[in-house]
Amino acid sequence: MIKKFFDWLKQPLGLIAVGIVFLAVFSAAAYGLYTTQQAPEQPVPGFPHKTHVAFGIQCLYCHPGASKGPAAGIPSQAKCWACHNQIVKTQDSALLAPLKDAVLSGRSLEWVPVAIVPDFVQFNHRAHIAAGKNCEDCHGDVSQMGIYENPQVMNMGWCLNCHIESAGDDQEKLIKLADCGTCHY
Amino acid sequence: MTEQFSRRDFLKLAGLGAATTAILTGCGPASRYVKREPYQQMPEYNSVGQSTYYATTCRECAAGCGLVVRTYQGRAIKTEGNANHPLNLGKTCARGQATLQGLYNPDRVQGPSTGDWDSAIQSVADALKNYKPSEVAFLMGMAPDHLFDLVSDLASATGMNAPVRYGALGMFEARATLSKAAENLFGQAGLPWFDIGKAQVVFSFGANFLETWLSPLPYTRGFVGLREGETKLRATFVQFEARMSATGAKADHWVPVRPGTEGLVALAIGNLASELRGGAMPRVFSSVNPAEVAEAAGVELEALHHLAEMFVNSNVLAIPGGAALGQSNGLEIAEAVLALNALSDNFGKPGGVYLSALAPNQTEYSRPASAEEMIAFVEKMKSGAIKALFVHGVNPVFELPASLGFKEALGKVEEVISFATFPDETAAEAKYLLPDHHGLESWGYQRVATGVSLPVLSGAQPVVAPFYDTRATADVLITAAQLAGGKFAEALPYKDEVEFLQTKLSALMGEANGSFSAPDAATFMAYFQQYGGWFKNAEALVAPDGSGVLNGNVRATEPEFAGEGEFFFVPFVSPTLAEAGANKPWLQELPDSTTTVMWNTWVEINPETAHELGLHNDDRVKVISEAGEVEAYVYLYPAIRPDTIAMPFGQGHTAYGRYAENRGVNPADLFGVHFNGAGDLAFAGMKVKIEKVSSAVSGVGLSRMESRIGVYGEALGEEH
Repeated sequence: MIKKFFDWLKQPLGLIAVGIVFLAVFSAAAYGLYTTQQAPEQPVPGFPHKTHVAFGIQCLYCHPGASKGPAAGIPSQAKCWACHNQIVKTQDSALLAPLKDAVLSGRSLEWVPVAIVPDFVQFNHRAHIAAGKNCEDCHGDVSQMGIYENPQVMNMGWCLNCHIESAGDDQEKLIKLADCGTCHY
Repeated sequence: MTEQFSRRDFLKLAGLGAATTAILTGCGPASRYVKREPYQQMPEYNSVGQSTYYATTCRECAAGCGLVVRTYQGRAIKTEGNANHPLNLGKTCARGQATLQGLYNPDRVQGPSTGDWDSAIQSVADALKNYKPSEVAFLMGMAPDHLFDLVSDLASATGMNAPVRYGALGMFEARATLSKAAENLFGQAGLPWFDIGKAQVVFSFGANFLETWLSPLPYTRGFVGLREGETKLRATFVQFEARMSATGAKADHWVPVRPGTEGLVALAIGNLASELRGGAMPRVFSSVNPAEVAEAAGVELEALHHLAEMFVNSNVLAIPGGAALGQSNGLEIAEAVLALNALSDNFGKPGGVYLSALAPNQTEYSRPASAEEMIAFVEKMKSGAIKALFVHGVNPVFELPASLGFKEALGKVEEVISFATFPDETAAEAKYLLPDHHGLESWGYQRVATGVSLPVLSGAQPVVAPFYDTRATADVLITAAQLAGGKFAEALPYKDEVEFLQTKLSALMGEANGSFSAPDAATFMAYFQQYGGWFKNAEALVAPDGSGVLNGNVRATEPEFAGEGEFFFVPFVSPTLAEAGANKPWLQELPDSTTTVMWNTWVEINPETAHELGLHNDDRVKVISEAGEVEAYVYLYPAIRPDTIAMPFGQGHTAYGRYAENRGVNPADLFGVHFNGAGDLAFAGMKVKIEKVSSAVSGVGLSRMESRIGVYGEALGEEH
C-alpha cells in the first residue's frame, strides 16, 4: 500500500501534492523564523518603556546587572512596586492589573527575553559598558518603544562589525576583539 | 516489516518527519522559549547573572563535612567541599556531590500526610500530651546533632525517653565495639582515630577506610600522606581480610585470613615480632602459638614471620575494622589488633592511635545505639511500653536487619510519626508523615565525631528556599511543644529553630582560640553561617593510656558462626549507596570500584569455587542463612577466599522512590540476631548456603562498565 502511495507521488498530481506540502512546510519554517525576530507577547501587555524613560528613569535603575555582570536582569517586583505603590493609577488601571495581581499574590511575572544570543555565545554586558558603549548603541532608542523589540538582528556579523570598527587601526586590539575565543569559550 | 511497508519506506517517512520537525523548531535559540521569572524581592547580596555561594554541612552521612553550594537565582547548582573546613579541606565524596539529586528528587514527600500543617502539628502536640512521658520515644539518625540536642532537652525536661540514635553505617563500622575496645585497653571510651598519614607501616585488619568507614575523606587524605608524605618514605600497607575490598586493592600485601581469625593473627604477629626483638615475651602475646594460628587462619607461617619482621625496623600502625568487628569475637579482635600497636608504642604519637577529639559543645563521648540496644528498644515497642514513636533521619525498617522484627514492632505502637524527607520503608508504616526539609534547605549543626585533630562544630544553613510544603522538624516540635503547654512549652521556649540554634551557639562566643569571635550573638551567627561552622584552634586529640596494654590480657577466642552453610559470609557497605544513596541515579550509575557493577546486587564467589559448583557469571543463586534467603546474580571474583562469599549492602529497597525500589536485594535480610562482646551485630558471624536458581541468560544479567544490560529492564519491574 505504501508502495502504491510512493508510485502515485511520482505521477503529475502527486508531484503537485509534493510541491504543496513542500511549500507549506517552507512557509511554516519561514514564519517560524520571522516570529523569532518579532517582539514576543509579554505578561504586561504593551509595557511602555517610553513612559518610564520619559519620567527620567535611567536604564540601569531597573537593569542594574548590565554594569556588573553578564545579564542586565529584569527588575524584581519589589522594585516595580516601590514606585507603582505610590501611583494611584496602579490601583484601578486594567493595563497595570497584571503587575498588581502578581505583587499581591506573590507570583512572578513571566517575562520573555527579547535581546538574546544563542547559548554558545558568552555575552557579558559589563565589558561593553566599561568600554564606553551606551545602552542605545545596541538596543536602539528605547525612549520611543513600548514593548521592547530589537532594532536589528543580533547575529554574529553585527557583533563582529562593531568589534572590528571599535578596534580601528590598533592591531593588538583587533586581535583581541576579533578572536573567536572572545565570545565562544 | 510487511511487504507493503518496507524498511526503506519506513526510513524515508521517518526521515521526512525528522526533517520537518528540525526545520520548524530549529529556527531560534533554545532560550527563545524560556520565560524569566524575576525575584519577588531580590536579596541584597544577590546580583543578576552571578552565582551566590553558601557554606553548609553535608547531610548525606554523619561525618559532618563542610560544603560550599553554588546557587543561581534561587536554585542549587553544584556542591563542592568547603576549603576552610578543617575536616574535609575542600573535598567531597561522591555522596556529597550527589546530594543535589536528593534535593531535586522527583519522589520527595511534598507535604504533610495530614493535608495541612496545623493539623499535623496538632497531632504531634496530642501525641506529646496524651501519653505518659515514658510512653513517648524518639528514634533518630546519626545526623543532625542540633535536632538531637533539641529532643534531648525536651526529653530531659519532661521525663520522656532519651532519644535513641541508630544508623546502618554505625552498625557496619561497629562503633560500639571500637569504643568498648578502647575502654577495655586504655580505660577510656572513645572513637579511635588512626593517623595513617604519618605511619611507616599500616596493618589494616578489615578496615575499609578508603570506602566508607567513620570519616572517609580524612582517611583518604591520610592515605595520600601514607603513600607520598613529604617528610618520609612511602609507607607499606598490608590488608588482612577474606574478601579484597576496594581499600585492600590498594594494599602492598593482601593477606586473605579466614574470617574471625584476625585477632589471633594480630596476636601471633605480635608474638613473632616480640621474639625477633628479644627479651621477655609480653603477656598479651604469650597466649598464642603462631604455628597453630597460621593453620587456623589459612595463611603460611612464613608469611606471618615476614610480616613480623616489619616490626624490627618500623613503627607499625594496626587498625581493626570492617567485617572483622562484625564477628562473634569482634570485640576480642578489636582489642587484639589495638594491642598490637603497643609494640610500636605509638599511642598518642604521630602515625599512631588516638582517641578522637570531642566537638566544641560536647562534654563526653557518645555513640549511636548498638544492635543489642536496638533489640531492647524493639522489645519495648513490642511490649506496648512505647505508645508514640517519632522517627527522624533514619530508616530502621531498611537499616535494621529484618530478623530484629522492627517492622512488626511498629505495628504495636499506637502513633508512629515519621519526619522523613523521602517516602522510605519506615515512612510507609507510619501513621503520620510530616516531611522535614532536605538537608540543603535546612538549618542545623553537626559535631564532627572523628577525622580531625581540632574540635569542630559544622554549621548548616538553607542554600535554597524549601521547594515543597515541608517543614523543619525542629520547628514542628517547638510549635507542638508550645501547643501542648506546661512543661513542654517550658522545655522549648524558642520562637523557632534559628533562635534555638542561636541560643546553643551563644555558649561558644566566649571560648578562647575560636576560629572566629564576635561581639554579639547575631554577628556570631552570621559568621557561623558564612564560614560553615566554628572550630577551636587547639589540638584536642586524646592520647590513650597504653601503658598497661603489653602486660594486659586479651582473650583470643575462636569465632562462632551461626547457620548450617559451608561458606563464610562477608557483607560490605557500598561506599556510594550505603543506607540512603540508592535513590540518587548518579550513585546508582557509579560503577562499584572493584567489580564495576551498577544498579544491582551481586554475590562474589571465587572462580574455583564457582567451577566446582558449576556456577558462571550472571547465574542466579539463592543465598540461604539461618535467618532468611535472598536471590542475586553471581559475580566471579578472584580476590576472595574460596570458602567465602560476599555481598554489598545498599540495594533492596521496597520503597524509597523510583530509582531505589525493587532493585537488587538487601543482604541484611540474611543477618541473624547475634552479637559480639560489645553488643554490636555479628553481621559477618554466620555461614551460608548457595543454591543455583537458574543459569545465565544471554542479554540478562549484571550491568557493568562495558555492558548496560539489566539497567533499565529491571527498572520496569521485570524479574529475570
